[in-house]
Amino acid sequence: MRAVTITPSALTHLVEVASSRGATYADARTVEREHEAVSVKDGAVESVTRTADRGLGFRVIHKGAWGFAATDRADDAALRGLVDEAFRRAEASASVQRRTVTLAPIDPQRGEYRTQFARDPFAVPLAERIDHLRAVDAASVGPNIKTRRSSIAAYRTRKHLVTSEGTDVSQEIVEAGAGLSVLAVKAGRKPAPRYDSRLVRQAGWEYVEHLDLVARARRYRDDAEATLDAPLATEKPTTLVFAPEFLALLVHESCGHPTEADRLLEHEVAFAGTTFMWPEDRGKLRYGSPHVSMTADATVPGGMGTFGWDDDGVPAMRTKLIDKGTFVGYLTSRETAGALGVPVAIGSARAEGWQHFPIVRMVNVSLDPGTTPYADLLRGVDSGLLMEAPASYSLDDKRQNFHFSTQSARVIRDGQLDGYLRGVAFQSLTPDFWGRCDLVADDWELHGFLSCAKGEPLQLMRVGHGAAHARFRDVPIEVRE
Amino acid sequence: MTLLGADRLLAPLRQALRDVPADEADIHVHRRRAAITRYSHSSIHQNALSDETHATVRAIVGRAVGIVTTNSLEASDLRRALGDAASLANASRPDDEWPGVADPEPIPAFSAYHEETAATTAEAQAKWIGAVCAAVPMGMRAAGTAQVEVTEDAVATTRGVSAYAPTTMAYLRALVLSETYVGSGYAEDLSMRVDGLHPDAIAARAAEKCALDRDRVQLAPGDYEAVFEELAVAEVLRILSLTGLGGQAVREGRSFMTGRIGERVTGESFTLLDHAMDARTIAVPFDVEGTPKQKVTLVERGVARGPVYDRTSAKAMGTRSTGHAADPSRYAAGGHAGHLAMAGGPATREQLIASVQRGVLITRFHYTNTPDPRAATMTGTTRDGTFLIEDGKITRALANVRYTMSALDLFAGIDLLGPQRLARDWWSSNGMGSILCLVPPIKVRRATITGSSPL
Repeated sequence: MRAVTITPSALTHLVEVASSRGATYADARTVEREHEAVSVKDGAVESVTRTADRGLGFRVIHKGAWGFAATDRADDAALRGLVDEAFRRAEASASVQRRTVTLAPIDPQRGEYRTQFARDPFAVPLAERIDHLRAVDAASVGPNIKTRRSSIAAYRTRKHLVTSEGTDVSQEIVEAGAGLSVLAVKAGRKPAPRYDSRLVRQAGWEYVEHLDLVARARRYRDDAEATLDAPLATEKPTTLVFAPEFLALLVHESCGHPTEADRLLEHEVAFAGTTFMWPEDRGKLRYGSPHVSMTADATVPGGMGTFGWDDDGVPAMRTKLIDKGTFVGYLTSRETAGALGVPVAIGSARAEGWQHFPIVRMVNVSLDPGTTPYADLLRGVDSGLLMEAPASYSLDDKRQNFHFSTQSARVIRDGQLDGYLRGVAFQSLTPDFWGRCDLVADDWELHGFLSCAKGEPLQLMRVGHGAAHARFRDVPIEVRE
Repeated sequence: MTLLGADRLLAPLRQALRDVPADEADIHVHRRRAAITRYSHSSIHQNALSDETHATVRAIVGRAVGIVTTNSLEASDLRRALGDAASLANASRPDDEWPGVADPEPIPAFSAYHEETAATTAEAQAKWIGAVCAAVPMGMRAAGTAQVEVTEDAVATTRGVSAYAPTTMAYLRALVLSETYVGSGYAEDLSMRVDGLHPDAIAARAAEKCALDRDRVQLAPGDYEAVFEELAVAEVLRILSLTGLGGQAVREGRSFMTGRIGERVTGESFTLLDHAMDARTIAVPFDVEGTPKQKVTLVERGVARGPVYDRTSAKAMGTRSTGHAADPSRYAAGGHAGHLAMAGGPATREQLIASVQRGVLITRFHYTNTPDPRAATMTGTTRDGTFLIEDGKITRALANVRYTMSALDLFAGIDLLGPQRLARDWWSSNGMGSILCLVPPIKVRRATITGSSPL
């Protein structure tokens, strides 16, 4: 039962076998994933983990239908079984099918993509990583901080895709990141957490240093301590300024997901849901105010949704999703573009691992920056709240009705930050919410998510989101003790 | 997936654990064959099978722990992984809370494996879907999933634990949508055995709801009487489990049970166990540390009795593990209550509905979360069958509503309970932090609706 490395020639052989058996399309994709993580809890090392996972996924279109099989074995019997199973599954699919699969055309691709980094995060000695985290932990200590956790992680993914159309591409993607959380607890008060698990970038160790985790730990500690004793907010329409970290999630949930084209085809209707942004709405639907433009871009340096090619073999592209408040575009795969009868505007077919069928996922979906400095944006607020980081979030199956709460709400008074409030949440409808945006600042920054959940079986995808501070007028907030 | 069986799966683990370069060690192996066929517009659009093996080894040197995973089951590869884990431990720092690896204990005789289910073919899964699609009336279309999983789990430790169990799981769901109006209905079956799936009945239940779900109106926010069907209750139990039923959450002050064990926390009609050995559920009879799973009373007639524990949280709380350690790559440390059993009652669905003066019926939820974990508060929108009940009868279809309320407050208002059935919440049905529930439908005096989706 040994997992064996699959050679490039074996991939070519597999797609040739598929073609000889009548498949109109086939691809074979090896994926090797490595991950190292160190975590420290309350000053002590909580865990040191190194994971490895490698295997092969194989897709065919046969009789107009998909079949997919995946294995982490690579002996001859396993590979023969893989091909047989993929064809069996395609035949079974064809037995209950009203619409045959059509792939939007692309030119065959060849080449390599590698993440550029200064220092390999896997090469940083474990002792150095632990020392770094212990310094971060020490900075998190506070009079009411009951639990402190911090972690550093490195990820490497090697992929090789060969298709029956002549595509042969390989990629090595390296990511580095950190996690940080504190929980303030005091008798008679509601516990106040402050955390961020989205500090991750396609980069080397230099990104971990760039994060300045010690300073961030102090800030989180101070936010949690202050929130613990803060007065309860008052329910009323309020000017909300969102930090880029918060907006990254809002963009993800309320623009990224509803523009996934597989939702139009109801591929996700029973689980992830559909959308409120239909093809007939393109160019017409008022999604937000004229300040709101959003772009999907798989070429952003350092983005967690950046790659050379997606898992259909489509080269990295960028496309507009929202243009000055109007809905204009979708995230597509070759299959969904083919079904919609449009060219591939951006390749977004992605699989979490070798064992997963590629489906439409976000790449880097970002709110375009404005031109106003953040300080000027803030000066325009007489009375409002700065929403620094999301806590709970919940969306309906069309990505239209949403509810967010925040870990940290800071009071804005006459353009200045002045204390904290607690208990702040808001629910809204997507176009109504983005329609209230009256300014986007110029301090655009990139955030990374490791675990966007979608698909069956569940696939946790890496995606990137950029945003700047932005201001929203008269947002009704709700308050919970 | 061909089952390896206990001897073949455990042999390389035992071999690798001889002469381990560490003070102690354990290995957990999870093998999984997952066949998932998805359909929409009454047509299969995805048909995937994956066959994978994951071994997680832990090596402990002077109370410092290193963890390494591999896909290989060769003894030599496992030994290499143990060596790597020992190197990580050597470079790490001691963990004062390390409880040691598990000692052997008798594993309960329990099987959640069904041979015929393990042998299910792609053709059989397609036939289930074909049967659903054929049973859906004209003017409606179906979407959903047919899924079969076969697993093998094994744990061995340097202290002599040697545990093995296979499982099977069969699942079929149908979402039926109208072709002519905005409306949908949903039904599913979940079982350890393929003969527990009934495609025609699923299609009929979903289609019946879809037929009712037309001409929706919006419901004003407020408190309403409510009937929660099984899937909706499972969603509330999920929030309760993730926020409050693990030993670590209690210890860190994040749980509703913190400082309240032995106190009344909700209504007398609410009793909740974690009971993996109930013959109606699907479980491995030991956890990833090799500890047998215990039956744990979590809440008894509204009184908090205590959480579940893994070895680390148990040591910290001065008690014994209840066998609830879970895969650390998928679950928070400190004990995972993943086989819930909520006490049910004799009420039929008709009786539940008939007991409501004016209220809502909720089929299931979508994308729930918790804005207040300490209070086990859940927020989420309903979907695929939300109805207004007036004078004991369903009178109108409703646009999806947003519900926001503490689970403890909801369960404090239970008036009636129906019979239990096996179900999973929306997240778990897709493998996200999986929790299986033996769960009844309930009628409650008060459910707080905080908003409505558009029509």
